[in-house]
Amino acid sequence: MTWVDIWKEEFMLRAMLATALSGVACSLVGVLVVTMRLSFIGVCISHAAFAGALVGLHFGISPLSSALVGSLLAVGVLGPLADRGNLSPDTAIGVVFSASIALAFLLLALLPGPKSEALSWLWGNVLTVTSDNLRVLGYVAGGIVMLTALFFKEIQAVIFHRELASASGLPATAIFYGVLVCSGAAITASLSAIGGLLVFSMVINPAATAYQLTYNLRNLFVLSAVFAVMAGWIGLALSVLFNLPSGAMIVLISTAGLLIAITLSPKRTGGKS
Amino acid sequence: MWVFYGKTPALRNISLRVRQGELLGLFGHNGAGKSTLIRAILGLVPVRQGQILVNGVPCTGSYLPQLRQQIGYVPQMLNIDPRTPVRAWDVVMMGQYARIGLLRFPSRTHHQAAADALQKMGVLHLAHKPFGHLSGGEQQRVLLARALASAPHLLLMDEPTSSVDWQFVRDLTSLIRQVHQASNLTTIVVSHDAPFLAQLCDRVVLMEGGSILGDLQARDLLTYIGRELT
Repeated sequence: MTWVDIWKEEFMLRAMLATALSGVACSLVGVLVVTMRLSFIGVCISHAAFAGALVGLHFGISPLSSALVGSLLAVGVLGPLADRGNLSPDTAIGVVFSASIALAFLLLALLPGPKSEALSWLWGNVLTVTSDNLRVLGYVAGGIVMLTALFFKEIQAVIFHRELASASGLPATAIFYGVLVCSGAAITASLSAIGGLLVFSMVINPAATAYQLTYNLRNLFVLSAVFAVMAGWIGLALSVLFNLPSGAMIVLISTAGLLIAITLSPKRTGGKS
Repeated sequence: MWVFYGKTPALRNISLRVRQGELLGLFGHNGAGKSTLIRAILGLVPVRQGQILVNGVPCTGSYLPQLRQQIGYVPQMLNIDPRTPVRAWDVVMMGQYARIGLLRFPSRTHHQAAADALQKMGVLHLAHKPFGHLSGGEQQRVLLARALASAPHLLLMDEPTSSVDWQFVRDLTSLIRQVHQASNLTTIVVSHDAPFLAQLCDRVVLMEGGSILGDLQARDLLTYIGRELT
């Protein structure tokens, strides 16, 4: 089979679709968390989702469902802590992050038999995504695109200044929690393809890359999604060409894109965009 | 009316009536409770005892979203990252989003209101600049335009002269007066800048330690302060 023939195989078409859907879902929530300065909440949610998946494997229930529950639990704990200021957001994230990792390691150690399935949720493999994974990714990506378009103006106001948005009569708190829940859903749906360790870069890198290039929020969403899909496809192609891990290649390509954008950024050089 | 931060009272036994169309100043040192009073009117801090009424409607619970749409709020200088992807135009439009409503898009009328407000504040030429790139004075004008674009019944301004030069203070005084006179807009301005309030307002309420000490005609404020200092 030649390199060109590989791209005609069903598993490659599925991988390309999974990369694109995951890229769109993660990059859109990425714009929200980057502009709202919530980046590390994403790290925390991804590890809580991984711990949730392991809980599912341990008790014989769907790991995807339990990963979603894990990520929503993290949102349920982090949201109020960050919101009410009882604890500094950094401290709250640190506590939930370390507790999630500890729970994941504990469950990994307690899991009987081979650990390969459990570890696949940590590393991910875009080449082995199933039709079910694709369907979930499709629903999540479609849902996030739709919500972002429908609530664009409210999101923009909350990104600018949450208290000011609230003072003008907008449901700023609902938008804030909506962003966290969407982050949890995007991260959970991408776990099987990208893995718990790397999915966070899919959230942050494309958004951070686009953030270097525009002051227009609409363009930021579009550019972020384009960069995510491009990084996904280029990373996938290189992983097939050189027989390398696909998740790692996707993340490295998106990181390279970010470095190029920082170097060329009109924001850094004081130009217009 | 009382407001607490934790167990510490931030506002103590406040009783204040603002007349329709009045231009009222709230004067006091830092920590006097002026900004907390503004935040309480907006429902951003909970009132523990008593209540605040705007046109007879309580500023709590289910009334709050509707009420907030009738209040124009100019906050203290915002610390916005210069890279934030929001332009001055977007900021002014945001003032109308709650009135436009969820799942609805701004119409030509809303765009015209934003353009008119920016024009009135003399910053229409800055509409497409990133908000974070504007000077302190320009940001204040844009925020005032934002508040006015929604045609509010009540205008609340929190320390509008902090971090701006004397020339802007002079211009702002004249702008607020123009807006107030044109629409008889009830306006409450919080400031620790006595000459600014004395020149701008009809009446000034003095606050200290979360309480109201009393009120006086704005023209008498500087005399009062002079007397207090000697």
